[in-house]
Amino acid sequence: MNIIEIKDLSFAYREEFFALNDVNLTIKRGEWISILGHNGSGKSTLAKLIIGLLKAEKGEIYVDGVLLNEETVHEIRRKIGIVFQNPDNQFVGVTVEDDIAFGMENLNFDREDMLNKIEEYSKKVNMFEYLKKEPHNLSGGQKQRVAIAGILAMNTDIIIFDESTSMLDPKGRESIMEYIRDLNKEGKTIITITHDMKEAVNSDRIVILKDGKVLAVGETNTILNDKETLNSSNLELLLPLKLLYKLDEANIKNEKVKNILWQLSLNK
Amino acid sequence: MKNIIVGQYVPGKSFLYKMDPRSKILALGILMVSAFVFKDITHIIYMLFGVLLILKIGGIPIMRIARGLRPIMILLLFTFSFQVMFIKTGDVVLETVLTLTYINLGLMVLIILGWYFTRTYIKSRFLFLIFVILGILTMLSLFTPGITISSSNFVVYEDGLLGASFIMVRLIIIVTLSTILTLTTKPTDLNLGLEKILRPLNIVKINSEEIALIISIALRYIPTLLDEANKIMLAQASRGVDFSEGKIKDKVMQIISLLVPMFIISFKRSDDLANAMEARSFIPGNPRSRIHILAWENRDTIVIIFCIVVLISTIAVRVFL
Amino acid sequence: MAIKFEQVNYLYPSFDGSNFSALENIDLEISEKGEFITLIGETGSGKSTLVQHMNALLRPATGSVTIYGIKIQKNTNKNKKIKLNPLRQKVGLVFQFPEYQLFEETVLKDIIFGPKNFGVKEDVAIERAKEVIKLVGLTEEYLERSPFNLSGGEKKRVSIAGILAMEPDILVLDEPTSGLDPKGRDALLELFTEIHKKLDKTVIIITHDMNTVYKYATRVLVMHDSELVFDGNASELFKSENIVKWNLDLPDIIEITNQLEKKLDISFNTKPHNVDELFKLMKGVL
Repeated sequence: MNIIEIKDLSFAYREEFFALNDVNLTIKRGEWISILGHNGSGKSTLAKLIIGLLKAEKGEIYVDGVLLNEETVHEIRRKIGIVFQNPDNQFVGVTVEDDIAFGMENLNFDREDMLNKIEEYSKKVNMFEYLKKEPHNLSGGQKQRVAIAGILAMNTDIIIFDESTSMLDPKGRESIMEYIRDLNKEGKTIITITHDMKEAVNSDRIVILKDGKVLAVGETNTILNDKETLNSSNLELLLPLKLLYKLDEANIKNEKVKNILWQLSLNK
Repeated sequence: MKNIIVGQYVPGKSFLYKMDPRSKILALGILMVSAFVFKDITHIIYMLFGVLLILKIGGIPIMRIARGLRPIMILLLFTFSFQVMFIKTGDVVLETVLTLTYINLGLMVLIILGWYFTRTYIKSRFLFLIFVILGILTMLSLFTPGITISSSNFVVYEDGLLGASFIMVRLIIIVTLSTILTLTTKPTDLNLGLEKILRPLNIVKINSEEIALIISIALRYIPTLLDEANKIMLAQASRGVDFSEGKIKDKVMQIISLLVPMFIISFKRSDDLANAMEARSFIPGNPRSRIHILAWENRDTIVIIFCIVVLISTIAVRVFL
Repeated sequence: MAIKFEQVNYLYPSFDGSNFSALENIDLEISEKGEFITLIGETGSGKSTLVQHMNALLRPATGSVTIYGIKIQKNTNKNKKIKLNPLRQKVGLVFQFPEYQLFEETVLKDIIFGPKNFGVKEDVAIERAKEVIKLVGLTEEYLERSPFNLSGGEKKRVSIAGILAMEPDILVLDEPTSGLDPKGRDALLELFTEIHKKLDKTVIIITHDMNTVYKYATRVLVMHDSELVFDGNASELFKSENIVKWNLDLPDIIEITNQLEKKLDISFNTKPHNVDELFKLMKGVL
């Protein structure tokens, strides 16, 4: 069952310069898919198109069977939550509590319901003790966790992480990845947008974007095995994967070593 | 820069803190009107005592209020001297001749120089200034040896003195009342209270909820922007911008080197923020539910009734006495 | 010694009167030439505060920082007898976000802004701009473009060019590679190595990326809870037990080598520094 279907999608910021060019993609309900690409590959543009913040030149986007257009955009935004890159620029509330509430307030949730959800989801992202704190007293990772709580409270089926970890330190990054993993296990459809292959290998499937075009789509295993495509993708290969390819090239066949390197590549 | 607090709010526990911000704003309005209704010095001094009583019960240290008055000290001094000098009715309180001679002119210059160089070491500078001014006036009136340069009559009338004191007390009351409000109410609560009070304006197509949202976003971003401004200043200082000196032309350049990055970053920020708000189903103008509600309690009603009684009595006093 | 820290403490004043300590008892010496230093540590450990002392943007609360013979203490600059500005020409500091410094209409004007502030004549500054723009890997055509229509990586290069044009002896960069993709990051790091080697300048980089540390640094400084807890070379650091305590990761190459050694129950004679070396070692074993 596909939750998102993208057909022949093109978008240009300037004339004749396509940030996205004829993108076709389907995303299954409950899966975790990574959109992997270099800076300027069009990956963040794709996220903004899906949530209706930008309008496509050409093509169609269906979310949960509904075609995205001006009439349906608000309905569709209720199904999708998005955590952006810059933790500071998406914190709307004066306090943590206010920020978690913001989306629910927009959807006119009942006050009692909001207070319960604020408690539940702030606990879930380990920010309960910080409910009354102002954003300038929080770290980047904490702000991103607040953003996650705000989206969980709105109960969207899909969550997009648009380079949400790229401005965080390693510790913050690891904690956000941990939450993403859990959310996917709980049944949310997850789309992570990243230039870091180390993050992408955690997902079920990977889409590689290059210069606005889909270079490859497939199961993570399949993508990692596709040496030619990866080499042409402008991405940095993971170290164990590089070693694996080198051993292959030198025709050294040792199943045990291969297996170990494969597991290391998959971050296991 | 981690602990910037917007506004003057100081945490506390007295009844002033427990009151609903709406009733505080209303009470402030009513009492201010009362302060303007009074025309008589004795009555307004009673009111000043009333305000001091509120401070006492509310547990607000008088020093905090004094700090709030500091910025308007010069204004107070100016209005006071103006009133004293130009109202020429009523009984004469003081009449003296101020004579400027070569000798006391010299002394005067010395005193002013002395004040100029010692003022940074004196704790209450304002009092020091008043003492110096009074001292000079006394000298001009009593100590006049040598050749006279010029001399003039200086007369203080009762009405002038009373009028001056009256205006000063009224200003002090108004500033004190508003300081009480901002000291005991969090900016967010104040904002919420204003939103509810301004709600009737929705009839004339002014959306008080949107105004409140704008204010709350501003409150949220002030510390972030201050922090950023500081970093931009350091970055430009690293490129040799010396903010402590420079000619006018350099100064202009210095300010541009701060403002342009500030604007560019703020544009980017507001763009991102608008996206983030829209993504979370914000639709401008649509009704929103709120987690914060205000609880109007009996004490709020009592306070408002009390304030109305005060207002009615002031009007009565004005009309009948 | 170009820069010398002696028992430096620094406190950030906070609203409630208590002070938040950002640097505690820092002793540190940095020479003018030939060092490629990486400064690492968790967020909030005091890294940025430390580098802002290196060009006298901040003054220590106690202790002193001596920069090119000028001793900076708490009260230095109060009476303006000592000019701090010239020190900022000697020690060039590039902030994390290029947006903090770019403000002119063209890249050229922005690059010559720094040198002109330090009294360099305009035509000399323009000559320098033409040199540094090539040095940072852009072409001369960029000089006429607006700094605001560039990509993130290009902005970063222009901001670095603006500091290089001041001809500092020491170049300090606060998280220069954050937010860049791997290609952009590597290109920038190669640029710093070139500056370090060709121009013989000391380069100091704040980073969170241990791969960068292991690959490039001749010397590593570690900050932890406002203290300088390590000052030495990278191989030594990553052998240390303390890296867990300081919340530091291992570089990928060490991590993978360790895993291979453990899982295959072997041990290599040498520690590889890159994937080619590891490959050769593996080939030897298999």
